[in-house]
Amino acid sequence: MMKKHLNMTIATVLLLQVGTAGLALAEDAKPLAGQHLSVLLPPWGTLPKEMTDGFTAKTGIILDTQTLGWDDIHTKIVTSTVANTAPGDATEVDWSWVGQFGASKWYQPLDGLVTADAVADAPTAKIFTYDGKLLAVPYNNDFRVLIYNKTQLEKAGIKTPPKTPDELLKAAKAIKEAKIATYPIGLPLSATEGTSTTWYLLTKAFGGDLFDKDFKPMFVDPQSGGYKALSFEIQALKDGLIDPAMTGLKDVEVQELFKSGKISFDVAGWAGNLAVYADASKSQVANDVAAALMPSTTGSTRTIGLPEAIGIPAASANSKAAAAFINWMLEPETEIGSFNALGNLPPRLSVLKQLNAKGGLKDGDVLLAQAAAVEPLFAQGTPGWYPEFSAAVASAINQAAKGQLTVDQAVQQVAEAAKTASQE
Amino acid sequence: MTATLSQKGPRRRYGEVNLGLALVIPVIVIMGGLVVFPLLSTIVDSFYRINLMRPGTPFTGLGNYADLLQDTSVRRSWVNTFYYVMMAVVLETLGGLAAALLLNKIKYGRRWLLAAVVLPWCLPPVVNAVVWLWIYNPSYGLLNGILQAAGLTSAPVVFFNDPKLALFLVTIVHVWRMMPLTAIILLAALQSIPEDLYQAAKLDGAGAFKSFRLITLPLIASGLAIALSQSTVFAFNLFDEAWILSGSSLDTRTVMIQVYMFAFQNMKFSLGMALSLMAMLASLLVSLVYVLKVYRETRFD
Repeated sequence: MMKKHLNMTIATVLLLQVGTAGLALAEDAKPLAGQHLSVLLPPWGTLPKEMTDGFTAKTGIILDTQTLGWDDIHTKIVTSTVANTAPGDATEVDWSWVGQFGASKWYQPLDGLVTADAVADAPTAKIFTYDGKLLAVPYNNDFRVLIYNKTQLEKAGIKTPPKTPDELLKAAKAIKEAKIATYPIGLPLSATEGTSTTWYLLTKAFGGDLFDKDFKPMFVDPQSGGYKALSFEIQALKDGLIDPAMTGLKDVEVQELFKSGKISFDVAGWAGNLAVYADASKSQVANDVAAALMPSTTGSTRTIGLPEAIGIPAASANSKAAAAFINWMLEPETEIGSFNALGNLPPRLSVLKQLNAKGGLKDGDVLLAQAAAVEPLFAQGTPGWYPEFSAAVASAINQAAKGQLTVDQAVQQVAEAAKTASQE
Repeated sequence: MTATLSQKGPRRRYGEVNLGLALVIPVIVIMGGLVVFPLLSTIVDSFYRINLMRPGTPFTGLGNYADLLQDTSVRRSWVNTFYYVMMAVVLETLGGLAAALLLNKIKYGRRWLLAAVVLPWCLPPVVNAVVWLWIYNPSYGLLNGILQAAGLTSAPVVFFNDPKLALFLVTIVHVWRMMPLTAIILLAALQSIPEDLYQAAKLDGAGAFKSFRLITLPLIASGLAIALSQSTVFAFNLFDEAWILSGSSLDTRTVMIQVYMFAFQNMKFSLGMALSLMAMLASLLVSLVYVLKVYRETRFD
């Protein structure tokens, strides 16, 4: 009896020891467990709770997700950082902010903190380097592609999508004449960022570039891509192919018009939006939408990559937990989940190919072909004065669309703004 | 006994002084910390170049102010802002006075009517602007619907493509939100006027207009001065309505939007500081001009 009791005691102690060791091992596997991590992202970057619960279960890190509008995030980052506080432990970093945040050293370099293989697999990560240091890692693969309403084109007798800007105009005229859509071409003309990025894209479509290697404007000459791109927009507006109300609409509002079937072309379509357009619960044109390579005057398609990323502010107190979150965002399962939930096209090429192989990408071959043609807007890296330049571009295009400036005056105004911004 | 009394006097006065100081110190600390110090700091910083994109903060003297005077976008935003101020002050004062006179006359259901009048003022400016954005929307907006239903227009009008109309429409949104405050201030002033004065004037043969000019207007002068000042200051600070309705469009850009763009978009903090100081000065000067005018023209001697 005594022996039996002793055996039971030994067994209990052993079990307790194994249990404690197991717990200790579990704690070792979650060294950051219990830490609170605040993440600041726009609505299209905020993952559903079911997904982030998976991150908490895996790491033990308690996530506090804050969602703000894109513009508001920039303001919050600026005001918080100037006040020497972190706007969040991990925040949105748009491609257009890289120059500012790099020059001001507001973000921690991520080299060594994030999985190098995953970063190497995401070609657009290069856009987020400043002075050779990686400031942020992309969580979406936003490049631009021509998205169109295939059914509307077919009704107008057009079998193939336009390959040149001229063909795009002809197709739009045919659709308008057939009274299928009143204003077939959708592109923003308001004084907002989306207006500027559309013009940059069309500049490439017309075979041009914004600046030379010394940041001298290359859009002032009437034969340049930028000049032709703006002329194209203004002429299409005058010809009644673009809704005059576009002078007050942002890019996201243009997307809503496309979803409702009121426009036939989303000229500067976000590649990831194709999945949203094809979702019958979110779009009325789910069965009609298709993607095509960006039209070009040179015969080879060109597009720009405008991805968004996540970085760690220098003032963050939980940079290790933030790095763990970024690494989790880079995992294939997370990228696929983000695509399914929010339409964020995976920034990692291997994940993109994996999705396409499984038939998960709408017009995947077009997207992969367009992805291969992605160029950064600024080959030299985004300059710190980009936001000032971009605001001037949006403002000048808005004025030209309202008839207050000619195309010539608008490009001159933009060139002057670029000169002033880069010199100050 | 006399000696005791004379000792008590200074002691009491000393105690009162201490009490007064104790009551005033929190206000001095709060105003000093939150108003005076930031103001002085902003004035000093506006003489330096504080650009987060560039190293160092060299002294530039009046350089920032000179740059602002030469900037065409800044000049345009000043013109827009003065338009907003002029229109907003006139419309808010006339509308607010009319609403206050009406509310003052109403005997039954005044509190319900007052609640309805105050509602736009209670709304956050952004919400107010978004509601009006829907009203002005060219595709599905209420205003276009009404104009088309009344046969005044045949097709939807893009109101914001006309710069003058755009300025007016932004002003309307601002006035809609701020007019209730003017109405409440003037209603409070109206309710403090003794009824006897009107009865006496009536006995002397004064009509409604004469009573308004000789009794009402002078006796609500102080309230009117407050209402005019707040209308001016808020119109100079107009931001949300113009930003939500038309973004950074030059047609409707205000000085405050320009400050935001300098400081938080372009990181040129010193330019933003200099411009905000100029806006503050302009706001103070304009308020002072008509507050003094109202005081001179309506005071009782």
